[in-house]
Amino acid sequence: MAILALKSRPTEISPDADKSGPIELVRYVCAIGAMQSAAAIPRVVPITHCGPGCADKQYMNLAFYNGFQGSGYGGGPVVPSTNASQREVIFGGADRLRELIESTQLVLDADLFVVLTGCIPDLVGDDVGSVVRDFQKKGVPIVYAETGGFRGNNFTGHEAVTRAIIEQYVGPWDGVREQGLVNVWSLLPYQNTFWRGDLEEIKRLLEGIGLKVNVLFGPDSAGLSEWRDIPHAQFNLVLSPWLGLSTATLLEERVHQPFLHIPVVPIGARQSSEFLRQVAEFAGLPSERVEAFIKSEETRYYNYIDGFTDFYSEYWWGLPAKFAVVGDSAYNLALTKFLVTQLGLIPAKQIVTEDPPVEHRDAIRAEFRNIDHDVSVEIDFIEDSYQIHQSIRNADFGHKPPIIFGTTWERDLVKEMKGSLVEVGFPASYEVVLSRSYVGYRGALSLLERIYSTVVSHSA
Amino acid sequence: MAKKLKQIAIYGKGGIGKSTTTSNISAALAEAGYKVMQFGADPKADSTNTLRGGEYIPSVLDLLAERRRVDAYEAIFEGFGGIYCVEAGGPQPGVGCAGRGIITAVELLKQQRVFEELDLDIVIYDVLGDVVCGGFAVPVREGIAEHVFTVSSSDFMAIYAANNLFRGIERFSNSGGALLGGIIANSINTDFQREIIDDFAARTDTPIVQYVPRSLTVTQAELSGRTTIEAAPQSAQADVYRQLARRIAEHTDSKVPTPLNPTQLREWSARWADHLVAAEQAEAERSRQVA
Repeated sequence: MAILALKSRPTEISPDADKSGPIELVRYVCAIGAMQSAAAIPRVVPITHCGPGCADKQYMNLAFYNGFQGSGYGGGPVVPSTNASQREVIFGGADRLRELIESTQLVLDADLFVVLTGCIPDLVGDDVGSVVRDFQKKGVPIVYAETGGFRGNNFTGHEAVTRAIIEQYVGPWDGVREQGLVNVWSLLPYQNTFWRGDLEEIKRLLEGIGLKVNVLFGPDSAGLSEWRDIPHAQFNLVLSPWLGLSTATLLEERVHQPFLHIPVVPIGARQSSEFLRQVAEFAGLPSERVEAFIKSEETRYYNYIDGFTDFYSEYWWGLPAKFAVVGDSAYNLALTKFLVTQLGLIPAKQIVTEDPPVEHRDAIRAEFRNIDHDVSVEIDFIEDSYQIHQSIRNADFGHKPPIIFGTTWERDLVKEMKGSLVEVGFPASYEVVLSRSYVGYRGALSLLERIYSTVVSHSA
Repeated sequence: MAKKLKQIAIYGKGGIGKSTTTSNISAALAEAGYKVMQFGADPKADSTNTLRGGEYIPSVLDLLAERRRVDAYEAIFEGFGGIYCVEAGGPQPGVGCAGRGIITAVELLKQQRVFEELDLDIVIYDVLGDVVCGGFAVPVREGIAEHVFTVSSSDFMAIYAANNLFRGIERFSNSGGALLGGIIANSINTDFQREIIDDFAARTDTPIVQYVPRSLTVTQAELSGRTTIEAAPQSAQADVYRQLARRIAEHTDSKVPTPLNPTQLREWSARWADHLVAAEQAEAERSRQVA
């Protein structure tokens, strides 16, 4: 008798996209690194249930040696941890976690606690849910997310934290919808070095066309009142190639909220105006206000660009023509689009490094194939820096020194290639970043300053 | 409004007849018109064999070992009476972490909303041994099974395992986990076997859901790769399983178990051992007198 599954496996199983093996010079952190996503929400404190060193490593990598952003109100060194060891492995760590949560409430003042698990409790199967539910029943604002390292990286962890807050804290929808209110799901806090300034600019643009914005993370968020308000929003805006899509889908199922997915984070006037028109159409906003805002932003933007063109057209002997980007799909796509369509640079190599889920990869490839009407880019998904550097070395940059948009890991490579490096992603250890932004109308101007200051100072 | 899915877990000492009993319950429920899934939570991955003519199926973890992503439906196979059969599977003996395997397999089905999509009436988890580690406790956590039944014979080791299980359930019951439905007393053929299990049930205030006698019919059916329900539908044993299945389908109220503590358990078994020894001596004495 033939035994058949309800669905048969594809007979040709293509090898997994992830070729397991050591990774040199990492470009993301563990799933529990999403403790910084929790800490990115004003007055939220993460609690980690993991081995000693896990939490510190995430913090130092994400928030220190990456733009020196700092830990935030409840992140980094503030984060309480069970420091699980042999005892918790053998006997289970639930009691230790319960004790830690109780003590945390005595010493830390927070609007919400987010418990994140590391590999140890997830492997031994601690029932963290039952511990946390006990506190929830007593009215403690607390949620939990299982973020053991084998579940994925900090992008996966971020989605788990977001889901946890929505499912365990936000509560059901009361049926009320506020027209013109939007929830924004975009760049990954802390992993993206410029997320704070970028979210501020995105919020400014959306408010400019008449929307009210739940930006949810960062200094420009009102904190948990925004999260509680999520179900009331008219729609969710997913502004990234894939991150946030699962959250939008969750909200679509849970509270019947529609979502708009725009993969390209806008940089520069052309992209920003297109972005705003797309959002406005989806939201049904009156075009007068939208167009008035776009006009005033473009006037200001092109005034600066007008000045910049003197330099850009006259300094032709020293400026790079071909570029490469090594980074997360969101910034990689945004930068490539801007550099090609608005500066006329030629893409030589684009490498996406955050290990996006397999099911989103074709869509990401398609976006890069459609950079402009006459520019199509084939990307590589690589996580290992040795392979990334080999790939950049082998790329054709023509006869001019290349400009690489990458991370601190590209420092030595760029010296070897006698090119220029603009650090745009994790880890950016030679950048101190506060509110600087590279997106929108204003961020694009900062980006131009950074790019060409780097280039012209090259020979200094 | 979707119908309420009933999820139950069956635990007990290894080799006590859990899979046999579980498969017969599933078969009887399917025969009675329920949509049933049997989920084998044992690294040996043989819980559902007698529902499919003795054939092995690839387990969830077999598929996961090949590829990082698995469509849950690739691990679901239809068996006797349209029963959906799933085996969690696990690592080779002596390596890896079987408990983590169970967690992963249960999560996969939950995440992919299989129970809702298949519109099931009943899911039965057939779980290896007793609650040895966090992974094997997953089926009794909040949000998964609501009722636990334990299969036990009158052997002391099986009763110890049942008592251990009660302790596990007692622990989880404080946090919304499953509650105890009762004991399925297996291989009960003599009066004193029945007395022992009855006494344990009384001491722990646990109902006996059904007495299942040891029967050659079951062995014959097993050897032909079938459940008793399928192989010997007219047999008395099949009716015993049908009655058991009916009770489980109608079962609504489980409770927090009251296990014996280790001292109580030791004293209890010692008393029964003395009693058995005395009975045996009396029997020997009687035989000598008759001779």
